[in-house]
Amino acid sequence: MILYTIMPEHLIFPVDAAVYEKRKMVYYDGIPFLVQSVETGEYEIVQNLSTNPFHFLNAKYAPGARFPASLATS
Amino acid sequence: MEKERYFQAETEGEQPETKAEEATAAITQLGQTNVPQMDPDTNIHCLTIVGQIEGHIQLPPQNKATKYEHVIPQIVAIEQNPKIEGLLVILNTVGGDVEAGLAIAEMLASLSKPTVSVVLGGGHSIGVPIAVSCNYSFITETATMTIHPIRLTGLVIGVPQTFEYLDKMQERVVRFVTKHSKISEEKFKELMFSKGNLTRDIGTNVVGPDAVRYGLIDEVGGVSQAMAKLRELIAMRKNGEGKMIQ
Repeated sequence: MILYTIMPEHLIFPVDAAVYEKRKMVYYDGIPFLVQSVETGEYEIVQNLSTNPFHFLNAKYAPGARFPASLATS
Repeated sequence: MEKERYFQAETEGEQPETKAEEATAAITQLGQTNVPQMDPDTNIHCLTIVGQIEGHIQLPPQNKATKYEHVIPQIVAIEQNPKIEGLLVILNTVGGDVEAGLAIAEMLASLSKPTVSVVLGGGHSIGVPIAVSCNYSFITETATMTIHPIRLTGLVIGVPQTFEYLDKMQERVVRFVTKHSKISEEKFKELMFSKGNLTRDIGTNVVGPDAVRYGLIDEVGGVSQAMAKLRELIAMRKNGEGKMIQ
């Protein structure tokens, strides 16, 4: 489908609010992460928001890794 | 007894299985087995400005976005932490919200610690003020920066006051860029309003070496040049401080 408009797509087709609620920013080991909750009661890392480049070398903090929701602080 | 032994045998049998599961979990989740571990303390931090710069309206999760509510506290933390001596800003952005972009640019410009930016891929639209806000800026040979007038996507200007407001907003962007880089206001506006460079739109797409030629960016280079410059700026700042005490 082609929409002949200059309106941004997300203004025409707003995404369901539930999608936003799934993702949030939490701190884990003092590092900020963008996470999404998974069915197992864990958080899956979507994005590592740290500015310390060494935090990106640890597999524990890589996108896709999971940690228990109870370990997250905000 | 027999029951106990039975249980023990069962648990013993399961142990190697769970170990194997743990090992494979890392592979299935991350696609990798292990990464090198290093000393977690570093004096240079790195801030990435990627995707769209998100403003007051939250973008859908499938959009890759830089959110100011994430970036601004990080800049504050960098300013406060005495262990951090310099900041490397990596840009690969398509632009986005003008106010949010200018907020990040102003935060970086007012940081007391040395900052160096590298434009990789693209530093378009509101990415331009962010790139020039640092003490020294680099652009890779293939990276581009689109300079164009600001606009409100999808909104029709109803009253002349809205146009005036937009004009003032644009003036802020122009003033910021000309203040923080070597480009003249005339040249920047010429690039901003030129026709024929972008198909059916006004503006210019400036490629790496051209951005340096116009004075917008300081130098063509990548990560090694940027890190060398940052270390040089850190050393200069340390020497300067030493002289102040004397």
